[in-house]
Amino acid sequence: MSTAFIEFRGVTKAFSGKPVLRGMSLAVDKGEVMFIIGTSGVGKSVTIKHLIGLLRIDEGEIWFDGARVDQLPERALAPLRKRIGMVFQSSTLFDSMTLAENVALPLRKHGKLSHNDALAEARERLAQVYMAEYADRYPAELSDGMRKRAAIARTLALSPEVVLFDEPTTGLDPVSARRVDRLIRELADKLGMTAIVVSHDPPSIFGVADRVAFLYRGVVHVVATPAELRASPDPVVQQFITGRSKGPMETPGF
Amino acid sequence: MIGERLVSGIGASALRITQEVGGIVVLTGQVLRALVPPRIDGRELVKNLHKMGNRSVPIVALTAFFAGALMMLQAGPFVKKFGATSLAGWGAGYAVLREIGPILIALMFSGRVGANNTAELSTMTVTEQLDGLRALAIDPVKFLVVPRVIAMMVMLVALTVIGDLVALAGATLVGRVMLGIDWSTMYYSFADNLTPYDFLHGVYKSIAFGAAIAMSSCYFGVTVRGGAVGVGKAVNAAVVAAAVSIMLLDFFLTYLTG
Repeated sequence: MSTAFIEFRGVTKAFSGKPVLRGMSLAVDKGEVMFIIGTSGVGKSVTIKHLIGLLRIDEGEIWFDGARVDQLPERALAPLRKRIGMVFQSSTLFDSMTLAENVALPLRKHGKLSHNDALAEARERLAQVYMAEYADRYPAELSDGMRKRAAIARTLALSPEVVLFDEPTTGLDPVSARRVDRLIRELADKLGMTAIVVSHDPPSIFGVADRVAFLYRGVVHVVATPAELRASPDPVVQQFITGRSKGPMETPGF
Repeated sequence: MIGERLVSGIGASALRITQEVGGIVVLTGQVLRALVPPRIDGRELVKNLHKMGNRSVPIVALTAFFAGALMMLQAGPFVKKFGATSLAGWGAGYAVLREIGPILIALMFSGRVGANNTAELSTMTVTEQLDGLRALAIDPVKFLVVPRVIAMMVMLVALTVIGDLVALAGATLVGRVMLGIDWSTMYYSFADNLTPYDFLHGVYKSIAFGAAIAMSSCYFGVTVRGGAVGVGKAVNAAVVAAAVSIMLLDFFLTYLTG
């Protein structure tokens, strides 16, 4: 049994024999905006994909709202995925559909709306992310940033309790990035939504996060508030948040 | 050394083929399970029926016309030599309805529709669009694979029926224009010698061919690994698997029911 809203306990995961997560543990409270930070390839995206069963852990446990979810078979994951939405790094909009059709899809499939009602609702959702005028365009015709905003609208269409954001501000211009930050903060403050955000973006980390988990060498190295993180004497944390190329941090591939 | 490599090569191929056949069987099981109860996405089904069927009519008609015409060209000189022009329609029609029509149309369909389907599904897979569907609690097999399988099976049968008619028209035209056989002789040659069973024999083969093309093209699409190179390999594997399946199915179906 777990008392936290979301909890990873001793999670391990290896790809082709190469360990990525090595006993990673993290607890996230309800209504909290938790950032997961760390170098590329350290397993941040892998961690959040485990929560909704897109990847399977090797060992450990994952708990959500008092129930263990890491062993659920694919068919039993649908109710969980309606409660936990995910915005992917690469947006994953469907190429064959317009933005409005993309956002309408989950509404049509799960909201029991007719196609036309779902499309009307989708246009409103797109307006919330400043994408209303592009509703009838196809994803391939738009920039990465525009696609990402539409993907956020699609994920929020089902009003999930938890949203997993995989690098939501990467590839966005600074103004759009801060708008996304503000949106995440508002969703948590006004609707009580829980968010787990994978990010490299310092303004987001220090502007939005309630707490930050720093993932390093396959485990959560530090969990702290942004202010505590800034004040941390840990040399690895300091090297990461100040972005210095020299220091004690191990960066695979460099 | 060479012998060792040969044996390990054969072993590796056998393992891969076994894995692929197993994967296709599992996917077929998932498709059948998704059909009970039958909750098919109507919009996806209609879109695929149109894309896969309507747009294939010109190429199928062209292939079928020349298939019929060629059969008549091959059979014509012999029936004329023996003065048996009343058998010209039988010779061409029998071959077209039972073998050449369904096989050629299925191979064309595999090249046009099956390859396109694998490329589309595998691109969706490598760009995480399938994971995107799963994250929205939408089952990719139910939403993407089932409508495609149904559309391919229905449309290959429909195209085979259309192709049969066009092929007989091609045979008739060549018989009249190039070999000088009367329209009426051709008509009675078809009507007296061909049975509805010859036609049905080709149609039920096309059901099996449609299933083989659909399952192999979807399987290689959803199991692709490794970016653009992977997409290329998946399309290649799907087309080869479909062609081999069509030939094997044709042989066994003809042997068992011919």
